[in-house]
Amino acid sequence: MDVAETIAHHILDHDLGFMLGTLHLPITAHTLTMFGISVLLLVLGWLMARPGKSTPARALNVVGEEYVAFMRDGIVLPGMGPEGRPFLSYFCTLFLFILLANLIGLIPEMKTITSNIAVTGGLALCSGGLIVFCGIKTHGAVGFIKTFVPGGTPWWLVPLMFPLEVISLIIRVCVLAIRLFANMLSGHMVLLSLLLIVFIIGKMNLLAGTGSAVPAMGLEIFMTFLELLVAFLQAYVFTLLTSIYAGMVIHSH
Amino acid sequence: MDKLLNPDFGVMALTVVNFLLLVWLLHKFAWKSIAGALEKREKQIADDKSAAARAREEAQQIKTELDAKLAHIASEAAKKMQEAVALGNAQKDQLLAETKQQAERMLAQAKEQIEAEKNKALEEVRGQMASAAVLAAAKITGREMDRQSAAQTVESVLKEIEEADRSRA
Repeated sequence: MDVAETIAHHILDHDLGFMLGTLHLPITAHTLTMFGISVLLLVLGWLMARPGKSTPARALNVVGEEYVAFMRDGIVLPGMGPEGRPFLSYFCTLFLFILLANLIGLIPEMKTITSNIAVTGGLALCSGGLIVFCGIKTHGAVGFIKTFVPGGTPWWLVPLMFPLEVISLIIRVCVLAIRLFANMLSGHMVLLSLLLIVFIIGKMNLLAGTGSAVPAMGLEIFMTFLELLVAFLQAYVFTLLTSIYAGMVIHSH
Repeated sequence: MDKLLNPDFGVMALTVVNFLLLVWLLHKFAWKSIAGALEKREKQIADDKSAAARAREEAQQIKTELDAKLAHIASEAAKKMQEAVALGNAQKDQLLAETKQQAERMLAQAKEQIEAEKNKALEEVRGQMASAAVLAAAKITGREMDRQSAAQTVESVLKEIEEADRSRA
């Protein structure tokens, strides 16, 4: 049994081979899951915003309002200040999107799209775009470029400081993608490895394999709960860091 | 496993488009209205709170004014009470004095009246005694006594009696 192949098969994306004439469309298992998550989010958002008289509808309204209030008072305003208010929708969507993507991966036979570097990279690109947009909106294009050189820097240090600051911004955005990708990938790899332990030992000795199932399943359950925590944590970290980075650009001197 | 770390740029582009579209749609159909409702309610709560604070301030001001008025009324009432008591005392004293004067006057009138009645009675007694003395003297002496000398005699006798009474007293 090739363990690495088995794990890769479960984690890697699978191209479904859609073509538009000669153009190859990037329709994969992950992108289909992403569309599903998007539709689910649209329905959930619509239900939360729709005023209703029944108890479940009112409960959804309350949950929606509490969620938006939490995002505004817990993430956007502390990170970006009042300038972040127009971007509240972005952060509300970002958190729920990542959270649902992380959680859906825990359901058997579903794909964890956030363990795909292309997906997390796409999300980080959006966040990077938001950060740059906030900088240009606040300081203007030239002013934003000037913020890469901290005030009081000696002129002879400018050629060194400017590329360093630009690289620092790019790295911050890349790290957003890599952190989410690595956390979700490693979690699922551990879950799969624990399951595979039973089969590997079972192939060597059936009795030992059966015996190893109990501790392996205990660890599996523990890791699943840990993954549940990580799913929330990573969604929160990604959203919070985006707001902090945008705030740093807005309030840079 | 190499595929794991090599991003599919098609998927990345689709993720960006999908996510930005999702942000726009959710902004339009969900977050905007939820945030609007939230801010509206927060504004209403803030307005209610400020209105309540204003009302409390006004109530406090009214209470202060009422307390001041009550204190003024209480002091006025105490002052009026003192005046009324003083007036009552003065009227009582005046009434008592008048009553006393009237009682004294009535007493004096009664005394005068009694004195007059007594004098009148004495005059009558004297007259009768004189008549009785004239009659008694006429009977004893067997001759008539003129009325004037009889009266003088009676008068002198009465004076002697009075002097005798005074000396005994």
